[in-house]
Amino acid sequence: MEQIDIINKLNNIFREVMDNEDIVITPESSANDIEEWDSLTHVQLIIAIEKSFNIRFKSSEIRNWKNVGEMIEAIQNKF
Amino acid sequence: MNDKNIILDIYNKIAEKSPIHAKKLKKNMKHYNDVYFQRSDDFIIKYLKFLNTLGKDIDYSIDCYLKMLDDIIAEDTYFKKFGKYSSSSFEEVNNRVYGNPNIMEYYMHGLLISQFLWKQHYQIYNYFIENIKEYSNSTNSYLEIGAGHGLYLSEAVKILDKNAIIDVVDISESSINLAKNLINNDRINFTLANIFDFNSNKKYDFITMGEVLEHVENPLSLLLKLNELLNKNGTLYITAPTNAPTIDHIYLFKNINEIKSLLNKAGFKIEKDIYFYAEDLPEEMAEKMEIALMYGAFLKKI
Ligand SMILES: C[S@@+](CC[C@H](N)C(=O)[O-])C[C@H]1O[C@@H](n2cnc3c(N)ncnc32)[C@H](O)[C@@H]1O
Repeated sequence: MEQIDIINKLNNIFREVMDNEDIVITPESSANDIEEWDSLTHVQLIIAIEKSFNIRFKSSEIRNWKNVGEMIEAIQNKF
Repeated sequence: MNDKNIILDIYNKIAEKSPIHAKKLKKNMKHYNDVYFQRSDDFIIKYLKFLNTLGKDIDYSIDCYLKMLDDIIAEDTYFKKFGKYSSSSFEEVNNRVYGNPNIMEYYMHGLLISQFLWKQHYQIYNYFIENIKEYSNSTNSYLEIGAGHGLYLSEAVKILDKNAIIDVVDISESSINLAKNLINNDRINFTLANIFDFNSNKKYDFITMGEVLEHVENPLSLLLKLNELLNKNGTLYITAPTNAPTIDHIYLFKNINEIKSLLNKAGFKIEKDIYFYAEDLPEEMAEKMEIALMYGAFLKKI
């Protein structure tokens, strides 16, 4: 899957989970840029990503995601 | 609080490594007062000395803590998806966690600093400190089960009579080593055992069991065991979380009433109790979102 396709899909997931239509993510986006991205929404994000991409992360694969780019990488590794 | 508080270094380091988690810690800070900052700094100074003897520093501990959090995120994901904890048997958890020094080591260091970083952990620890004093005169024998890192134990040692017997039972060698070395006090007798296999010909005036009830398959039988070990007029201090997925939790308490009714069934009455949510949210919302909660109680025999 191309990075651009992943990011588009991810953007929709972010908007849905955070309940904010204005969110625009880039690989550099971190929790410092997206106010609603906290430990509560983080778990919801993971669940939504697993569902939407039909993948299942091992605990070692969700370690220390600091920004969207690392998230994309983890998703790419699943394909 | 002042900007020289050592605990703030830890907050800053965590924020660098995990901005997502740091948000929650920052939000919860408004629950803390000066006593908190004094206590956590005192603890950290002592803890740093101890780490030094291991050839380690605070960055090591922070990494332990973050590793523990990663495990919790994975467990939380499972919990939200399936409505249960991922482990269901003691055997499984014993092999995966208590008997596994690699995991147990980072887990206990992580859990230890979480006592000062998590709102519900600090608040319940504070509750223990504030209330244990009044039992010191009536306690000639003290037992702690699952002392883990030993923080509660270190408080008990401070206030108990110098002739009081202090026994500890823990199933994990890693836990016992950590508590032993951190407290460094010869008067404590440590026993490496599963509490179900622990037999004593004496009964205890005070028993502390922090966060162990949710680690067994049958919490009622554990409480009955405690009832047996407790003196007629003795006191039991117990803590247990609801909706708190971690790698070693087996028994899911969905709400406080489930814990209370079990305590009652095992022959205990509540002398005092309290609970704290893990997140700074309105109670109704926290309940609806199944946010983890810590329950603590001082109990007497019925
Ligand atoms: C989550 S830690 C709790 C540490 C500390 N008491 C606190 O409240 O923060 C649980 C501890 O209980 C021990 N433990 C778990 N099951 C046990 C059992 N069946 N018998 C004895 N100890 C047990 C573990 O090894 C670990 O040290």
